[in-house]
Amino acid sequence: MSKRQDPSGRSPSAPAKAFDEVRGEGPWPSAASRRDFLKLAGFSFAALALPGCGRAEEHRAIPFLDKPEAVTPGRASWFATMCSGCEAGCGILGKFRDGRPVKIEGNAQHPLSAGGVCAVGQAGVLSLYDAQRLGAPRAGGTETTWENVDAAIRERLAAVGAGGVRVLSGTRNGPTSEAAIREFLAAFSNGRHVSYDAVSSSALLDAHAALFGRRMLPHFRFERARVIASFDADFLGTWISPVEFTRGYRAGRSLADGGARFSRHYQFESRLSLTGCSADRRVAFAPGAHGAALSNLAVLLAKKAGRTRPWAPVDDAGVPGEALEDLADALWSAPRGETLVVCGTNRVDDQKVAAWINHLLGNYGDTQSVKTIDIQQPSRQRMGDDRALATLRREIADGKVAALITVGCNPVYDLPDGAGLVKDLEKVGLVVSCASHMDETASAAHYVCPDHHTLESWNDAEPLEGMVSVSQPLVRPLRKTRAFIESLAAWRGKPQSAYDQMRRVWKRSVFKRQADHASFDRFWNAAVHDGFASLAPQEGDLPRFHHDRVGPAKGPAAAGGDALSLVLYPKIAMGDGRHAHNPWLHELPDPVSKVAWDNYAALSPATAARLQVETGDVVVLEAGGRSLELPALVQPGQHASAVAVALGYGRVGTDRFHAVGPQWIEGEPTVEKGGQVGINAAAFLHVADGRLSYDTVRVAVRKTHRRHELARTQLYDSLHVPKHLAKPGEHARPIAQEATLDAWRNNPSAGGHAAHAFKELWPDDHKYTGHHWHMAIDLTACTGCSACVISCQAENNVPVVGKDETRRKRDMSWIRIDRYYDGDGEDVDVIHQPMLCQHCDNAPCESVCPVLATVHSSEGLNQQVYNRCVGTRYCSNNCPYKTRKFNWFSYAHDDTFQNMVLNPDVAVRSRGVMEKCSFCVQRIQEAKFEAKRLGRELADGDIRPACMQSCPADAIRFGDGNDKESLVARQRGDPRGYRVLAELDVRPSVTYLRRIRNRKEHAKGEVSHG
Amino acid sequence: MPRRMRLIVLSITFLAVLVSLVPRLWASRFPGDHTGYAPPQPLDYSHRLHAGELAIPCMYCHSGAERSRHAGIPSANVCMNCHKYVSAPIGAIRAEEDKAKAEQRKPRTIVSPEIRKLYDALGLDAKMNPDPKKTPVPIEWMQVHRLPDFTYFDHRAHVSAGVTCQKCHGPVETMERMRQYNNLSMGWCVNCHRDAHANGINGKKVSPSLDCAACHY
Repeated sequence: MSKRQDPSGRSPSAPAKAFDEVRGEGPWPSAASRRDFLKLAGFSFAALALPGCGRAEEHRAIPFLDKPEAVTPGRASWFATMCSGCEAGCGILGKFRDGRPVKIEGNAQHPLSAGGVCAVGQAGVLSLYDAQRLGAPRAGGTETTWENVDAAIRERLAAVGAGGVRVLSGTRNGPTSEAAIREFLAAFSNGRHVSYDAVSSSALLDAHAALFGRRMLPHFRFERARVIASFDADFLGTWISPVEFTRGYRAGRSLADGGARFSRHYQFESRLSLTGCSADRRVAFAPGAHGAALSNLAVLLAKKAGRTRPWAPVDDAGVPGEALEDLADALWSAPRGETLVVCGTNRVDDQKVAAWINHLLGNYGDTQSVKTIDIQQPSRQRMGDDRALATLRREIADGKVAALITVGCNPVYDLPDGAGLVKDLEKVGLVVSCASHMDETASAAHYVCPDHHTLESWNDAEPLEGMVSVSQPLVRPLRKTRAFIESLAAWRGKPQSAYDQMRRVWKRSVFKRQADHASFDRFWNAAVHDGFASLAPQEGDLPRFHHDRVGPAKGPAAAGGDALSLVLYPKIAMGDGRHAHNPWLHELPDPVSKVAWDNYAALSPATAARLQVETGDVVVLEAGGRSLELPALVQPGQHASAVAVALGYGRVGTDRFHAVGPQWIEGEPTVEKGGQVGINAAAFLHVADGRLSYDTVRVAVRKTHRRHELARTQLYDSLHVPKHLAKPGEHARPIAQEATLDAWRNNPSAGGHAAHAFKELWPDDHKYTGHHWHMAIDLTACTGCSACVISCQAENNVPVVGKDETRRKRDMSWIRIDRYYDGDGEDVDVIHQPMLCQHCDNAPCESVCPVLATVHSSEGLNQQVYNRCVGTRYCSNNCPYKTRKFNWFSYAHDDTFQNMVLNPDVAVRSRGVMEKCSFCVQRIQEAKFEAKRLGRELADGDIRPACMQSCPADAIRFGDGNDKESLVARQRGDPRGYRVLAELDVRPSVTYLRRIRNRKEHAKGEVSHG
Repeated sequence: MPRRMRLIVLSITFLAVLVSLVPRLWASRFPGDHTGYAPPQPLDYSHRLHAGELAIPCMYCHSGAERSRHAGIPSANVCMNCHKYVSAPIGAIRAEEDKAKAEQRKPRTIVSPEIRKLYDALGLDAKMNPDPKKTPVPIEWMQVHRLPDFTYFDHRAHVSAGVTCQKCHGPVETMERMRQYNNLSMGWCVNCHRDAHANGINGKKVSPSLDCAACHY
């Protein structure tokens, strides 16, 4: 005892003290206290040990009485079904675990989505367990039974006589729904089905109706295009079918064979869209200048083609001449039929000119060969007709509609004059809404007949002509809802289940269109198993193109001087607002602005400076006597004359998020009681030429002196090193690296930074003799769409924290999309970088944990052990990537209904615990156990973390780095690969592959971001 | 004197308490250790009879152990594979047969009270057909083995590695009522993993993981 060494070894020079000398020192004032302590400790130990003698807490285990053969408790089954987040009709697989769907993933066999799902699709599973979904039909605002509602509706319909019966819907392209609506309306002398899309593409269809004599939406094949020109079409984000387009776009930008097939993408837009972020050349131009720009592009191309000029060049100050000439050169020098010009506006003249250009470039192809635009098998993902909608609107106002049934749409919210529509609906004898929530339209309806959630119902869709997607239920309806087609059948007096209706319609019409199966049952079973059926393409000649029906598109007069135009657009997560009850989507930061939980008025830096507005200042937008108050956001890359506001916010019912997130003394509610998340901007939509117009209203912007702090998850926008800190020659931190295609061809490691060599001090330690898990993220493929973020949230039980906590940087997502700008003003380059725990082999977090709650595994995983963690947060402070998230609260899990979405394979973390990306270790374990059970080795591709599975662009790879044949090992050795912050010698397990841009030498130096 | 009395009374009381605590001392465990936990079950099912005497393989009823994380409690329809025909102990049935023979009548169906509970749960009538008047009610077994929520154990991995059921669950084939045999603590798990790592399982070389994330995620 006398020569006791100080075990900490911190003061070896201090003389070792005898035990007796120590007595009486330190925090214990006297020897007696020390004894007291020991006594107390002994007593506490006894007190702790005694309950161990008690009985265990009782838990019951209740097995099935009669277990279905396919169900094994604890084992997930996957069923192919169809996403209904939008009308794109992507194929999904639903994970069914112990009686409930818990996850949505992509169906890799599906011809359109091929394994990808967007953020909205992934979040669909949460909507299933929404406690505010209507649980029963309603009549006059009170709940009632289906029998009562049906009797009342049938009675009213019988009295309609010659009055108009209208079914108003969003795009409904399934053979069964179409047949059900047709059969229902056939009973009335004046029945009609009107469909519209809240974010309309009506002009695109109408232009093709005018030019080809057939109203159709062409099927764009981005994978075949060598040059892509997009005029305000956000095809990677929200336009028509983003998952399919992302997949195609990615396939057309392959770096195989020296990047021989790497497309060149031009984006002309007035706001900064997600698609613009990916562009090789992006040009900001004034809102409404699309028509003039396209017309001039047509003139330039006609000249190259040796044709007579179709029209005189349009003189418009907003048109960037040099960029158009560059584009015309690129388009013309590419082979015919291998370019693509798309236009996202809802003006027929613009669309006609775009079609004319595509036709000139041979993109429509012929019956022999499909080019970049397929009209032999056109798309049906948007079928809305704005003019029919306008006609219906007039009929309602004139009192000519006797019965109106709405489904899959919310006209009172979507259309510019919602209040007026509510008033006019009083003239309609019978208004039935099939909405699943008490939304704006349902509140104005006589009867609300809630439709099923897509995971509860049989349904179909035909997103492409000849490609039918099947939706099958994964769970019995959780509430007393009813499929829309069942309601229609009940109202026409021939009730039939959705399943029977679907089989009937398929037997009658769909089965005839296929040639693969001889018996209907086999065809049906195959279609339900696969989630889709491919039908024989229609024979016959393509419709002829009529040149004479195209004229120059002028568009609205460009704004002169300081005038500002409003651009209304759908955000990635919120779209047209139909998912406003989904907190995951509200909390998903917009990948460009990085703002969650709000919409805002985005202003270009120049305009903001002129108006002396900063991010977070509340501004008033005024136009035509209407006004909106919104927080401002300074958005680089946006054209100076544009004010961009997202649609889809300000939905009735979003005051439910008042209590989302932790309730504590300093906490502020996400929304005020009775308030709404964001502001509805639909009032600023206007109808031009019979179609909804999104980008032309002149607005005045006035600054108020109030502030509204936006919930931004990223406050550092640039990787540039401030001048006073930069070393000579250094201008940007090498975090998100990029190179041009030419530079990469000359030097595969172009854009990289000379790495500092480190000497390994203990080379024999931690050899990773078994697996060594690695991830590779290809920044060239990543578009920033954020599907991985929601996928991770669903898989790993990541909680929702609310707006206030997000403002305090306490968002909990395990993977985030970092977005960096290069440049300022209108001309910026953007790069997105998914950032997650890097599972460093020399992890800085591990060495500082005092309780060994974060340690390294023998397979290279940085493990976080929740039951050991005491919440010192040292690890988070020492993490250079800032990917660790701390549970400041026990995030609300008292919505027991919503808790059914929790993944039973992942622990729900409690307050005071650190958490972070685990590389989906539950999936690693599952794959290992399954391989062991089947008696085989783990193969490359067996393990697919949630982020990788859902990525529409295949940007993420995961696998065993020790398996030299694995894709990830090869990507890790790619000269394009680099590790973020490699200079710290933390040895991350995640490799990033540099972003390659297909552009001529960069004006700002070869590497912009890093 | 009273002082002395007090001392004596106190000492006796103290000794009595001490003596009464002695058996508890032997039974004392750490918190969360439920070794020996054997709750009464709603139905007196005997593993000794089924697994021991009749030697029905464990995996016949707990088929999930091969395929899933959970071994699973068999659903009632699995019981009915046999109990559709076996409604009472064989001795009772034989006795009834003999008695019927002696009395020259058809033997009556004998249903033991415990098996009656199974039929009641399934809502069956005397002829083993579903009785529309009875509502089937699943049997609420008391869970014996339970791990904390932050621990993920997978039966499938252990069964495919060749670990016998008895290694963890003890001599189940001798237990009249199911009882937790081992303490299922982390140290106990890890010791076995270490041992298997060094010595293999039944002579087969295995590599059980010692990583935290093997069980905690």
